[in-house]
Amino acid sequence: MNFLFFHLLLLAYLAASILHILFLTTRSRKVVQSAYWVTTSGFVLHSVFIALRWQRSGHFWADWYDSTSFLAWALILIYLCITHLTHLRTIGVFVVPAAFISIVISFTLQTQENTEIPAYLQNYWFVAHSTFIFLAYAAFIAAFGFGLMYLIEEKKIREKQHTVIHSLLPALGRLDELGHRCIIVGLILLTMGIIIGGLWTRYVQGITWKWIDPKVVFTIATWLIYALQLSIRQILGWRGRKTAYSAIVGFGAILFTYVGVNVFLPSTHAF
Amino acid sequence: MNRIVLVGTSHHIAPLDFRERMAFPELQLPEAFRSLKEDYGARETVILSTCNRVEIYATTSANGGSAAFSNFLATYHQLDPQQLHKFTYSHQDLNAILHLFKVTASLDSMVVGEPQILGQVKEAYDQSMSAGATGTILNRLFAKAISVGKRVRSETNIGSGAVSISYVAVELAKKIFPSLEDKTIAIIGAGEMSELTAQHLVENGASKVIVANRTYERAVKIAEKFNGVPLAYDSDLSFLVEADIVISSTNAPHYLIRRQSLAAIMKKRKHRYMFLIDIAVPRDIDPEVSKVDNAFLYNIDDLEAVIASNLEERQREAGLAAQIVEEEAAKFHSQLQVFEVNPLIKALHQQFQQVASKELSVCLNRAGLSPKQQKLVRSMTQSIIKKLLHQPTKNLRQVALNPDSAGAVNDISGDHVQYVQALQELFALENADDVETENSAES
Repeated sequence: MNFLFFHLLLLAYLAASILHILFLTTRSRKVVQSAYWVTTSGFVLHSVFIALRWQRSGHFWADWYDSTSFLAWALILIYLCITHLTHLRTIGVFVVPAAFISIVISFTLQTQENTEIPAYLQNYWFVAHSTFIFLAYAAFIAAFGFGLMYLIEEKKIREKQHTVIHSLLPALGRLDELGHRCIIVGLILLTMGIIIGGLWTRYVQGITWKWIDPKVVFTIATWLIYALQLSIRQILGWRGRKTAYSAIVGFGAILFTYVGVNVFLPSTHAF
Repeated sequence: MNRIVLVGTSHHIAPLDFRERMAFPELQLPEAFRSLKEDYGARETVILSTCNRVEIYATTSANGGSAAFSNFLATYHQLDPQQLHKFTYSHQDLNAILHLFKVTASLDSMVVGEPQILGQVKEAYDQSMSAGATGTILNRLFAKAISVGKRVRSETNIGSGAVSISYVAVELAKKIFPSLEDKTIAIIGAGEMSELTAQHLVENGASKVIVANRTYERAVKIAEKFNGVPLAYDSDLSFLVEADIVISSTNAPHYLIRRQSLAAIMKKRKHRYMFLIDIAVPRDIDPEVSKVDNAFLYNIDDLEAVIASNLEERQREAGLAAQIVEEEAAKFHSQLQVFEVNPLIKALHQQFQQVASKELSVCLNRAGLSPKQQKLVRSMTQSIIKKLLHQPTKNLRQVALNPDSAGAVNDISGDHVQYVQALQELFALENADDVETENSAES
């Protein structure tokens, strides 16, 4: 049952990605509209899939498989929120294929259905901590996407080139604004995730804080990058290209915190 | 049988002074409709008269077709027949349909994809309809033409991309600012082009206009048009701190805005975006300015290049549009033919029904059958009529839909017009056209 759902949602995201890319060549409104609906149905399937898996295995977060799948889900969630608020369905061209790649990675990382996780992780503290952190990751990835779109479009405007992609993108000011908001939301979520994680280890597990855990150190560093960028923007009015660059640097930090730390350094965090 | 005939002229083949003489002012239309109907055998007429084209669409059952309407034009506008021949074109049936669809889809316009023509066709049709000059065929034709025009606009990008300097400026501004609401425009210098551009920006929501000019009186004069703020411009650029869109067109022989001074201004305005349009020759703004963060500079050549690429894009989309138009024209043409044999089919069925009901009443009077038996005989009669007429009806529609298949199906060559005539003669049916007008009067 779970497996069937997984294949269906994989197929839905694949179809949605193809439709979005098809939209680049045809630029037909019908295509982008159906792409939107296919994405939405993929998202519904995905939600059901996560719920079923949670119910069956008894825990929400177990391994890399869960985290990459959740990341894809969160990306689509952000896409749906933004399209709902701004009617900018064309950003799906960039977001949906990214979510599809994430879910494919998730697929290749799939291990046994029931990964055993230690008893001390089986509580809501852990679920909340992971959920906030990964929602923050998704928001930062979205900010990174908007940053890339911004740089592409800015380059086109400066070089006076008018191409297909250029005509699909929203105004520069809007891309900047969307990226900025994603960073704000991401920073709030990350802050909450960090606080919950800290309180949980300190007061529930009764462990003194171990700053030396590389995952914690790099998460704090990531937090600092975004916080610094937001303050400079507030004070000096930095925007546009500089926001885009900082979103890209921040994305690098996230990538390292998420994957790099586990590859290169010992950590108590499984993912 | 009715033919759709088109006679007309357009900017493609005729000079302006000829088109002027061909034009039909709105007030003269009713008289033209009357004359076409009474003197030249037109059943239905629509006259499309714009500054780029004058076209008469009509249906007629006369064999002469377009010649009669050419004569009408010659007489009505008192034109030299030779000139008329040289500067007009005429089409019939499928080609006339195709031409109208192309016109409505803006494929025949001077600037391909321009949006006005759809409204003009609609207006021409409305005028004819309210004057009672249209009937079933042209009603269908123009309704279809308008929907095809809409389809082309929504399914292709034929109308996208600005093709004039001022609209390109607006389009580019919209690529930089999410909305032009609350944006401030600064006009430096004066000129028709900069005023026009500012006007379009204001129409799109820009709220405040600053006009800077060497002579204050001139600045006041222009500022009045936009409810703007006039400024006497001397090398002080501090007013640019407020400006989101700058349009410069002075006669200055040197650059007015340089990289260093703009960078300072940008810092003061907290790096909010600035769009600079330099339409002056020689240029007012140092090209180096475009290296300043969040400042975007376009000069007159850049704007022209955008126009050229937009026109190219429209040409590409015109290919797609032409496909849609051809498809729709062919479809409409065959539907029209089916529509034309329908009255005949109806007449045939009516005749059979009349004979049957007459014979039935005689027979049922004599036979003295029970109500149940009477009912049975009636329904049997009905089913005999239906079955006898089923195959001929089907074949007739088939032939009308696809005249070429007639030979293959029944080994009889000839198009549906011959079929219609044969049927009319064999069964002594009324003229199908008359039946049709009756029908339309009923509905």
